[in-house]
Amino acid sequence: MSLIKLEQVTKRFGALTVLDQVSLSVEPGDIVAVIGRSGSGKSTMLRCINGLEPIQAGRIVVGDTVVNDPATDLRKLRQQVGIVFQSYNLFPHLSVARNIMLAPTVVKKMPPVEARRLAEEVLARVGLGEKIDAYPDQLSGGQQQRVAIARSLAMHPKLMLFDEITSALDPELIGEVLKVLESLARQGMTMMLVTHEMGFARNVASRVVFMHQGKVWEEGPGRETLGRPRTPELESFLGSVLH
Amino acid sequence: MIREPNALDVLYLIAAARWTLALTALAFVGGGLSGLLVMLMRVVPARPINWLAIGWIQAIQGTPLLAQLFVFFFGFAIFGYRVSPWVAAGAAFSLYASAFLAEIWRGCVEAVPRTQWEASAALGLGFGQQLRYVIVPQAFRIAIPPTVGFLVQLVKNTSLASVIGFVELTREGQITTGATFRPFTVYGIVAILYFCICFPLSQLSRRLERKLNVAH
Ligand SMILES: Nc1ncnc2c1ncn2[C@@H]1O[C@H](COP(=O)(O)OP(=O)(O)O)[C@@H](O)[C@H]1O
Ligand SMILES: [Mg+2]
Repeated sequence: MSLIKLEQVTKRFGALTVLDQVSLSVEPGDIVAVIGRSGSGKSTMLRCINGLEPIQAGRIVVGDTVVNDPATDLRKLRQQVGIVFQSYNLFPHLSVARNIMLAPTVVKKMPPVEARRLAEEVLARVGLGEKIDAYPDQLSGGQQQRVAIARSLAMHPKLMLFDEITSALDPELIGEVLKVLESLARQGMTMMLVTHEMGFARNVASRVVFMHQGKVWEEGPGRETLGRPRTPELESFLGSVLH
Repeated sequence: MIREPNALDVLYLIAAARWTLALTALAFVGGGLSGLLVMLMRVVPARPINWLAIGWIQAIQGTPLLAQLFVFFFGFAIFGYRVSPWVAAGAAFSLYASAFLAEIWRGCVEAVPRTQWEASAALGLGFGQQLRYVIVPQAFRIAIPPTVGFLVQLVKNTSLASVIGFVELTREGQITTGATFRPFTVYGIVAILYFCICFPLSQLSRRLERKLNVAH
């Protein structure tokens, strides 16, 4: 069974149609790279999948939860779907440990001692064990982004969404974040990531989805889709990002 | 009979300043608690409740404090209740403060970036949990200077309570002036006493702000 299923999803902001009958499915273990020009609806698609944005038509199913059903408890859904944003969005008033412990203790009622152990464990997975008591403003962008990933991992999501998580980083910091993504991929995490890192899309992603004007314009296995684009739009997009 | 102002007059003024402080404290605590409630009603994602809060804030902010005082003092009398100046002033100033503090604090809550709401929602926190653990702690820091600013205004505005017979610093000043006919000296002392209340408040605010900025 698919882990994510979008059926004819339409999303509008006022008169602007941002997602236009998008259909897509993601299987467990898939690593889907979403590419496309700015404004093509990539972020909006991710935000709809974990219910941060309502949709106007179609259906989104994650696991056995219908996201757009008004009766769905979005808080339950979000415990299973992690999302990491371009701007990290750590809580600046909390230490790294407390950033990570917050949701497990408050949402899952985990005892603080156990949550602290969990924080140590997920920080180790992103290679930041020694920063557990630092505050976000004491960390580099790359480190903050790795903490954001760890914070999300602490909820043990079935699925992770990443929205251009390396785009705000200085070039020399991108590598450390991509390494974390690669290790998650090796561990079998199902991931959907919006990215401009074509090397990553080609080498790590199991599939590439090219969005254009709110539609899934082209999709297929990573290497093949990027190597031999079938539409002129993807070809010109690749031309513009590779040069 | 006109006499010179003496040390006893100064003592009486200081004693009256206690009532200024007491009324301010009452209004700040009462207005703070109800203002917190109004602020929550203003930001909760439920339109009718928002409107209720907006209506309240507009009604209070759109009418003079003096009129509110009279409404409380004489309004109850119309219905046959005699209220003491204390009750009338305490209630009127609390409600006055509730509207202004609600509006100040709403601004502080809205100054916390939207992305903090999103990040906490994405982790599965509910609205109340987001407010309590993520938004309010950040809004709190932003809120200190404008809140103390309002508190200083409140100290000075309590002088209006003299119109309903509440004897606080300004009213005591009037009484002393009546007896001594030395308005310049008497109101000079009154002004100094107000300053002695307000200045430390501003200093405290600065110190608190600095402390919070350093200590996360
Ligand atoms: N909250 C919003 N309100 C109105 N328009 C929006 C909003 N969010 C995004 N949009 C618009 O939707 C379109 C797609 O945005 P987005 O999904 O962010 O694209 P991408 O991530 O591919 O750059 C853009 O035209 C953007 O201006
Ligand atoms: Mg985007």
